[in-house]
Amino acid sequence: MAWSGRFVLLVALGIVPIILLDQPDLLGIWLLFAILVAVLDLLLAGSPRQLRLERELPDRVRLGETVASALLLTNLGRRTIRGIVRDGWQPSAGASPTRARLVLPAGERRRIDTSLTPFRRGERRAAQVTVRSFGPLGLLARQATIDLPGAITVLPPFNSRKHLPSRLARLRELDGRTSVMIRGQGTEFDSLREYVRGDDVRSIDWRATARRSDLVVRTWRPERDRRVVIVIDSGRTSAARIANEPRIDTAFESSLLLAALATRAGDRVDVVVFDRRVRGRIQGASGPELLSRMVTVMAPIDPELLEMDWLSVPSLVRSVTSQHALVVLMTSIDAAGGSRGLLGMLPQLTRKHTVVVSSVTDPSVLSASLERGDRDDVYRAAAAERAILDTTRVSAAIRQLGADVVTGAPADLPPALADRYIALKAAGRL
Amino acid sequence: MTVVGTILTPTIRAASRKGVFWIIAVVFLVLIAVIALVTTGAKTGGVPFSATNPAPAGSKAIAEVLRTRGVDVSVPATLAGARSALRGSPGSTLFLVDPDSHLDSAQLRSLAALAEHVVLLAPTFSEARTLAPEVGLAGVVGRASLTARCDLPAARAAGRVTGAGSGFRIIDGSADATGCFGSGSNTFSVVDISRARRHITVVGTTDAFANEHIAEHGNAALALTLLGDNARLVWYLPTIDDSSISGPTIAELTPAWVGSVSTLLIIVAIVAAFWRGRRLGPLVIENLPVVVRASETMEGRARLYQKGAARLRALDSLRIGAVSRLATLCGLPRLSTVDDVIAAVARVTARDPSDIRSLLLSTEPRTDRDLVRLSDELLELERLVARDIHPS
Repeated sequence: MAWSGRFVLLVALGIVPIILLDQPDLLGIWLLFAILVAVLDLLLAGSPRQLRLERELPDRVRLGETVASALLLTNLGRRTIRGIVRDGWQPSAGASPTRARLVLPAGERRRIDTSLTPFRRGERRAAQVTVRSFGPLGLLARQATIDLPGAITVLPPFNSRKHLPSRLARLRELDGRTSVMIRGQGTEFDSLREYVRGDDVRSIDWRATARRSDLVVRTWRPERDRRVVIVIDSGRTSAARIANEPRIDTAFESSLLLAALATRAGDRVDVVVFDRRVRGRIQGASGPELLSRMVTVMAPIDPELLEMDWLSVPSLVRSVTSQHALVVLMTSIDAAGGSRGLLGMLPQLTRKHTVVVSSVTDPSVLSASLERGDRDDVYRAAAAERAILDTTRVSAAIRQLGADVVTGAPADLPPALADRYIALKAAGRL
Repeated sequence: MTVVGTILTPTIRAASRKGVFWIIAVVFLVLIAVIALVTTGAKTGGVPFSATNPAPAGSKAIAEVLRTRGVDVSVPATLAGARSALRGSPGSTLFLVDPDSHLDSAQLRSLAALAEHVVLLAPTFSEARTLAPEVGLAGVVGRASLTARCDLPAARAAGRVTGAGSGFRIIDGSADATGCFGSGSNTFSVVDISRARRHITVVGTTDAFANEHIAEHGNAALALTLLGDNARLVWYLPTIDDSSISGPTIAELTPAWVGSVSTLLIIVAIVAAFWRGRRLGPLVIENLPVVVRASETMEGRARLYQKGAARLRALDSLRIGAVSRLATLCGLPRLSTVDDVIAAVARVTARDPSDIRSLLLSTEPRTDRDLVRLSDELLELERLVARDIHPS
């Protein structure tokens, strides 16, 4: 049961007769009257228990986009339901409006639309629907909460897809689909065709020319069907936020861009999210299916308060592929102490694979190192320089162990990693 | 996706069946509390110096001891009762405590005239002027204990008493007054004034009469001797009902509806609270991530440097950063030494190499001011080198 402001007003109105008639005894009579009227009103209210509720909901939504969620209410009772309906979504589902007015005559059906704009990745849930049904006078209401679970998966936004067209264009240049035909490292024999003026004379295949008595040149294309293994660190350091974005989200963005690029270039991409156990694994998918599976697997993963188990990573990579592969480790390389596990494990990987370590750098550290207004600023600048120095030292150690390092601010890291991939592909190091 | 729900809110019948235990338990507890309150009464505090009050502030101990010693102690509740008790047996003692001045001077005078011995505990200014004009109030006495030093039998029996209370000064030199328990500068805590066959004792040592302190020093002896000198004792504490002042009550001054309207307003406030307080269904629970900013380690290290005044360490970090950037600017290889960098920078800026060496290597900052100055100079040097190498 609940009551409205009207009921409060009705009780308060008792002041008028009490003062005008100057009859103190009217108090009890008035209260009795108000309660009688209200109870009568309550008896005439439609029962929210007689409602049949259904929810219509899309499966998933990309973070930052808006979807409509619909609630269908059918009145199975004999009286009209007038009142308020609240759809109980979690706060970060970004439901709006959260309350809706409803007039639902007996036997009819209404649809209430709520727009959802989630502001956090993962699975956002709705728990229940609460209906408050007032009587015809709007004094007292019957209220019932109806369990109606719903869930929507909020996928990583993949904002870096805006970089994809330019990178694909560069990949096509590499691929020989444009007029540029360069023979070099990182290419494999594609086919033979007739010589046209302008072709590199060094590509003339004399043996084939002799057979055909016509000038024939070899064409080349970049190597294909290479393996790319992306290992994403979901340990405690990935929970830290840089520019209000957790490291793991940046890692997801970079891996999505890299995977989109690599699968178009004909390489096979496998992704593993790992801390002490495998939190997510995408293997054997390609093309559009790969990206769709990646976002689905990544959506519910949050960093765990665990130290990353680097010792298991080589065997993990071995379980994915036994061939030579490009292994991309997405982690943080902030401090020498914290990176000891990574550095100790790296030689095992670099012996067999091409390894790239990608890490987010904090742009605020860089700006702090240059700001030296007063005493506090100078000390902060010193600490920032120390942090940069630590990162530089760890990077140098990683390079010494034969791996490559890509760092960048959260917005710059995905394209930087994509560029590094293209460079490695062009150099034939995949 | 289509889901059809089940109802979570229990019906009134189910809710009352579930809550019946708690309702009975609460009613039972309230009942016990009411019974306990009615039978024992509130024992905390009570009326000070009341003959029926066993609390620390009361004086039931004295009254009970006097009763067992054969003194007829009567405790009238009203002024009329006290009068009739005093009239009933001439030659009795009146113990009067009226710190709130409920009685006016006429009532006091008529009451005191009925008793042979009046013991006046802690009188107010007007009481003292009415009943014992020979003494004046001398303020608070803060001594831990006081010694008798007089011929009053009660004081002699007591010897020493608890001192806390008020003191009096004998202002009428011609009066037949005895001051006891002096605390210097002609101030006494007990003054006995004799007038013909009657006498009045003004007592300031209030603590000595309370249950809490009655066993200390000679407090009991003083109280029992003073109050037990006659066969009958009238123990009278005036209340507001005895007050001669009377006027219209608030109910008489206001219109008749005020009471009802204020009751109604209270009810309206309660109803409004339930109106606003009723929730539209339970909260939906969500686990939120902890927000950890990555730059927090940097901030923490900065505060550590500052707290420990690690100026040289801080400056060294800045110098290492500056040296590596300068080396890159001058196009030196990655493994070049600081001396190479100093020489290169000196060539580019045409400055004395020793100046640059002291800035980049040797000067130790003694104060924070030095540190800020050196850091500014480092930035300035970097800017100069960049300008000289890439003039734009």
